[in-house]
Amino acid sequence: MSAEHEAATEQRHADSADAEAGEPPKLQAENLTKQFGRIVAVDDVSLEIRPAEVFALVGDNGAGKSTLMNMLSGVHEPTKGQIYKDGQPVNFSNPADARATGIETVYQDLALMDDLDIATNIFMGQFPRNGVGPLRFIDWDETYERAEQIMMEQLGRDVDIKTEVEFLSGGQRQLVAIGRALAFDPDVIILDEPTSALSVDATRLVQDTIEKLADQGITIVIVSHNIESVLKLADRIGVLFRGSLVNIKQPEETDLEELNELMTTGTLESKSMDE
Amino acid sequence: MATEQGVVGRVFGDRDDVMLTLLDNMIWPILAVVLLGVLVFVPQTFRSVQLILWGAVPIGLLVLAESLCLLSGHFDLSIGSIAGFSAMFTGMILGTCPSCWALTTSPWVGFAVILLVGSLIGLANGVMIAKVGLNPFLQTLAFLIIFEGAKTAMQTQPVTGLPSLYTQVGGTPRFAIGLMLVAFLITGLVLRYTSFGQAVYALGSSEHSAREVGIDTERLIIVIYTVSGVLSAIAGLMLTGFVGVVPPLIGEGLVFQAFAGAVIGGISLFGGRGKITGALGGVILIQVVQSALNNSQAIGATQIQMINGIVLLVAILLYSTQTKLRARILASGAV
Repeated sequence: MSAEHEAATEQRHADSADAEAGEPPKLQAENLTKQFGRIVAVDDVSLEIRPAEVFALVGDNGAGKSTLMNMLSGVHEPTKGQIYKDGQPVNFSNPADARATGIETVYQDLALMDDLDIATNIFMGQFPRNGVGPLRFIDWDETYERAEQIMMEQLGRDVDIKTEVEFLSGGQRQLVAIGRALAFDPDVIILDEPTSALSVDATRLVQDTIEKLADQGITIVIVSHNIESVLKLADRIGVLFRGSLVNIKQPEETDLEELNELMTTGTLESKSMDE
Repeated sequence: MATEQGVVGRVFGDRDDVMLTLLDNMIWPILAVVLLGVLVFVPQTFRSVQLILWGAVPIGLLVLAESLCLLSGHFDLSIGSIAGFSAMFTGMILGTCPSCWALTTSPWVGFAVILLVGSLIGLANGVMIAKVGLNPFLQTLAFLIIFEGAKTAMQTQPVTGLPSLYTQVGGTPRFAIGLMLVAFLITGLVLRYTSFGQAVYALGSSEHSAREVGIDTERLIIVIYTVSGVLSAIAGLMLTGFVGVVPPLIGEGLVFQAFAGAVIGGISLFGGRGKITGALGGVILIQVVQSALNNSQAIGATQIQMINGIVLLVAILLYSTQTKLRARILASGAV
C-alpha cells in the first residue's frame, strides 16, 4: 500500500468517524429477517454502514450473506425488518428500486456479454442517446467517450474500450462490471465475491480499484468468504453465522484465525478459554 | 481492431489487425472470388443484374429474418413455411381459381391478411419459446412441418386470379429490390442505433447476463420471432409477385438457403456477433450462385438442391474456420 493511499485510507476512516457522529448511516438494516418457507436464511440482522466506508460481510457457505446482500440490492424482499438509505426508510421490490436510490450491485457472475465490447457492456440498457421525441438513437461517440472516462478517471485504467470482454482476464472483467455499476452514478456499490477465483495479480487489481472508489466517497459493501482479502480492504467486517450477525470487527483488532473461528462457530470460545 | 497499450487491452501487430478485419468482413472477398468465377465460367449469368437482384428479394427477406433470430442466439426453421403458408392462405382468400375461397378481391385486405398471418405465427413461435420454454429448434421444426402440411392441405394447385396490385408489389423489380434494401437498411440501423438492437446482441451473447442487466428477455424473444414472422410473410408476398401466382411448393426448402446466406454473411450461429451488411453480402452471393446454377449447361435442374446443400456445408465450414482463426489471433494478442 503506497503512502499516498495510506493517507487517503486514514482520511477516509476519519471522515467515516465524523460521519458516525453527525450523518445518518449510508445504509442501515434494522431487524432484517428473510425466510424461505420454514428456513430462516437471515435472522433479525441489524447493522449500519457508514458513508464512504468499505464494509465487508463475511460468513461460511449458508451463513446468509448472499441473502442479506440480495435484500440490500432489491433481489429479495425482507420477510421482516426495514432497510434505511441515508436515514430514510426504503422498500425494494426489485433491483431497479435499489438502483433508483443509488445502490448498485456487482454480482459474482458479473453479468457480462462476452461478444460485446467494454463500452457496450458498461452502457447496456442505459446508452446515452440523442435525437428528438421518440426518435432517439444511441450516441456511440458519447458512449465510448463516457466509457473511457469511467475506466480512466474513476477506475484509473488505461483501456481500449472497444475490446471484446471475452478476451479480458478475470480481474479486468471485474473492473468492467464495476464500471457498469459506476455508469449509474451510485453512492453505494455492493460487490459479491469480487476476488473469488482471481489470480494474485488480478486480486490486487480489484483491491486497488475498491480502495480508489472508497477514496472517491463511494460506500462499498463487499460480500466475501476470502477473509485475507477482506482484512486488507475493509474498514469494518461483519461476521454472519447461520443467518445471524454475530460480530462486527475492525481489521486492526482482529486476525485471520479469529475471523475463521467466528465464521465457523459463531463465537470466540477458544479465545476466552485461553484467556 | 484498435491497438492498445493499457492494462486492459491487447497489442496486435498490423498483420493481426488486417487478419481480424478480413475475418470480420469475410463475405466481401468471398463474394468477389465467386463473382469472378461466375463471370469466367458462366458469363451468361450476368445478362441481367436486375433479374439477379429481383430474384434475391424473397431469399433476402428470409436471410434478414434468420439473421435477427441468429443474432439473438436463437434460430427459426419455420421461416420458409411461414412465407409459403401465409402466401397460400392469402392467395386462397384473394384468388379466383376454382378451388379458391375467393372471399375478397381487395389487394389491401390481402396485404393486411398476409402480414397478420405471418406475425401471428411468429408470435406463436415466440410465446412457445419464451413463455412455455420450448427449445427453439423443436418449436420451429414443428411449425415448419405443421404449416407446410397445412399449405398442402389447403391447395395442391397453383392459385391464380390474384388482384394485380397484390402481385405487382413483388412483381415490379425496382420496387421489390428497393423494398428489400430498405428492409436491410432499417434493420441494420435499428440493430446499431437502438437499445432494442443492442439488446438483441446482448441476448445472443448471454441470455442470463442480458436478464441480469435488466433486459426483458422473454418479451424480446417474442418480438424477435414476431418480426421474423412478418419478414417471412413479406418474403411470401414477394415470391407470389415474382411468379404472379401462388405455386403449391412456395417457400419450401428456402430455410436452408436463408441459413447459408446469413452464415456466409458472418452472422454467428451462436448469437451476439455479425453485421446486417454482411448478411446482405450473403444474400447476393447465394443468389449469384443460384443464377449461375440455373444458367449453367453442366448442371441440371435436378442437381441444384444438392449443390445448395454443398453451399450450406461450405458456409458452415467457413464459419467454423473463421471462428477458430479469430479466437487464435485474439488469444495470442491478449495481454
